[in-house]
Amino acid sequence: MRTLVFIPAWNEEAALPGVIADVRKAIPEADLLVVDDGSTDATAERAREAGALVASLPFNQGLGAALQTGYLYALRNGYDACAHLDADGQHPAEEVARLLAEVTADRADLVIGSRYHAGAVAATGDYRPTFSRRVGTSVFRFFLTLATRQRFTDTTSGMRAANRRVMSLFSQRYSPDFAEIESLQLAVRQGLRVEELPVRMLERAGGSSFLTPLRSAFFIFKGLVVLLVGQFRPRHAETE
Amino acid sequence: MLPFAADAGQVHLTSQTRIVAAVLALFFMLMILELIRRDRLQERYSVIWFVAGLGMLAGAAFPGLLEVVANLMGVRNTNVALFSIVLLLLLGLALNFSVIMSRQAAQITRLAQERAIEKALAEKRAGANGNGASGEERLEPEKERLES
Repeated sequence: MRTLVFIPAWNEEAALPGVIADVRKAIPEADLLVVDDGSTDATAERAREAGALVASLPFNQGLGAALQTGYLYALRNGYDACAHLDADGQHPAEEVARLLAEVTADRADLVIGSRYHAGAVAATGDYRPTFSRRVGTSVFRFFLTLATRQRFTDTTSGMRAANRRVMSLFSQRYSPDFAEIESLQLAVRQGLRVEELPVRMLERAGGSSFLTPLRSAFFIFKGLVVLLVGQFRPRHAETE
Repeated sequence: MLPFAADAGQVHLTSQTRIVAAVLALFFMLMILELIRRDRLQERYSVIWFVAGLGMLAGAAFPGLLEVVANLMGVRNTNVALFSIVLLLLLGLALNFSVIMSRQAAQITRLAQERAIEKALAEKRAGANGNGASGEERLEPEKERLES
């Protein structure tokens, strides 16, 4: 069983080395790839110093493209399972290991780490989302549940684990603009087993969230359009 | 008699305006040819512009055509018909460009991803060959330094 853990990073030089060390300690058997999404700071250098392999996109392409790079890398290099987590230090690596365990035990094709799942809320004393984020989260939660007829609590979670079926799907089709939510809809529509697992998340260690109220509103609007369109996309036969 | 009603159903084009329009249309098509010749415009994107140029030429040569079209559209004023058609054409062109742009954006993204992966793999191979040690062992001291 070969496992890849990849970390999409955009200008995260401060937090990234800590995240890499955390992953190495919690999941020592996994290979580590940092997808540097056209960072203008020393993200790539810090990652190399910390011992990670770095795939640098030549210019900033957005989170979706960065994640897809990871899935593509995992697929091409024959990994059986892969996982990704945010580079800002919000995601403890031992939680990622729990997601990976679900995938390697073949209980699900795609596992999402949820900070809002009933089990997680109690355990997470130290994570408090902002108001904008809470509104966005509940809107997306409602519509994604409506679209997929499956209950999702944390639709924008960037902590996920996946097997080869998911790698093959996501490396072909992955929305560059609205990666997190559309990918869930896509996976469910393709008949993959998508599962949420309650996880503990932390406050971000470095950088700042991109969400301002206006941006949040636009983000939500865009997300709803994407979800609506996604409902009319053809269901493709799985190819590998 | 309403002046508006008097205008209806007639195309007021003097021979002068018709000549100017025809010359402009020809000039337009020559410009496109020149752009293709200098590799500034690809053939596949030029077809639509040639069609537009031919349309302009046809309108200049046969003003009656416009009247026929206006009648088909149920528009009494041929000027309104003309502007509507041009507007719709431009809208269609803009949409066409958005489609092309989206496709190219996807292609650029994939290209960037492929390059990033290739470079990472090359780096990995170089690292594995260079020291005879695996990447993990080689980088242990670095990790300790970061933790301390």
